[in-house]
Amino acid sequence: MNLTLALLLHQTACGAIAAAGFGVLFNIGFRSLPWCAVSGALALAVRTCCLDGLGWNLEAASFAAALTVGAAVQALRARADISQNALDVVGCIPMVPGSFAAKAILAMFALTSTTTADAAQTLIPAVQFALRVTFTIGAIGTGLAIPTLLLRVRVSR
Amino acid sequence: MDMIDSLSPDDSGSAPALEPMAMVALDAGRMLMEAGASANSIDGIVAKFARGLGADRVDLRIGYASMAITIGIGANGITRMREVGHLGVNQRLDQELWHLAARVSRGELTTEQTRAELTRLATKTPRHSAWVMAVAVGLACAAFGRLLKVDWLGTGPVFIAACLGQLLRRELLTRHVNVFICAAVVSFLSSLLGGLGAHWAGSGKIDMAMIAAILLLVPGVPSVNALNDILEGHPTLGSARAVTVAVILIFAAAGLWFGKVLLSHWGIET
Repeated sequence: MNLTLALLLHQTACGAIAAAGFGVLFNIGFRSLPWCAVSGALALAVRTCCLDGLGWNLEAASFAAALTVGAAVQALRARADISQNALDVVGCIPMVPGSFAAKAILAMFALTSTTTADAAQTLIPAVQFALRVTFTIGAIGTGLAIPTLLLRVRVSR
Repeated sequence: MDMIDSLSPDDSGSAPALEPMAMVALDAGRMLMEAGASANSIDGIVAKFARGLGADRVDLRIGYASMAITIGIGANGITRMREVGHLGVNQRLDQELWHLAARVSRGELTTEQTRAELTRLATKTPRHSAWVMAVAVGLACAAFGRLLKVDWLGTGPVFIAACLGQLLRRELLTRHVNVFICAAVVSFLSSLLGGLGAHWAGSGKIDMAMIAAILLLVPGVPSVNALNDILEGHPTLGSARAVTVAVILIFAAAGLWFGKVLLSHWGIET
């Protein structure tokens, strides 16, 4: 277990800043930006606890974090006066594995090189990164969708 | 006349009020789509607009580049199609459209008043200034960098590179440069500046600084929308979004690769 309070606070603060920054990019009003920050902070706090506290893998931790954010946003949407889609997606943006995606594609570019000395050593990380990107985005999307789908079933009954 | 016949719209033009009603509802859907809404949201809001303006029946088909609507009142009905423009993200516009849909569904506005409101929203919804956006994106990418374990020496260059990348992206999009070319160019510039800055600052994480500086290009909303659309019964639109996300990532990675090649050429190991 590698979880420390300093690490948790650092990850939470970075998640809040990243989510608020992307909130501005998505043209969310200044009054609603604190909610974006809270959403991002919650996502990163849950993911860090699952990753470093419970020892889960990235995909499972991302799923738990997205599920938590999705449920919290469902509960708070009336107070935040911001579309639910915006708030939960912005909160989960800091968890989108952009670096893995870049590494996967760069490794695939390297594979096409005729001078690749050991193709297997390049191919395996490329596939691993690509799979992690796919599964992590799938986990985030599914985690966000479940609370919405459950609420819709409840409302329609 | 059997049940099927009674539900079939008659495109005879005998109800002229249907035409503006259909076009206003379609315009609302198009604006939502261009503001980054998911298919289910668009479906619900367009139905609110059409029913609020008096339609009895509403059927919507949402494609990646076009939308089609069939609306009917009594035995009359029409089908109209509308092209959808560049898909961005604009949450203030999205929110305003939700509020307008609520007013229309309460019967507070006529078709003409709704059209005027849509025009007002399209032209008057405020956006953050270019500099505010650039600083916010810079901060977001710097925070991303810290999450990717970039050291403090590399965080400043990531901030500056992402700020400049965002300014360039906005400028290119204003000039209607292709979105994929734009991703490659911005990625090249941001990764190069991030890498050079991290090298000059003495950072030990030049590769991660380069990646963090291009994370402004990660299409987070489209990728989450893609999965949502598939889960909520719109696999065609979801697949189209997913393919677009993949191609943007490929172009962004190409820009990053060119940046790495140039740095290696200058003797900077990434």
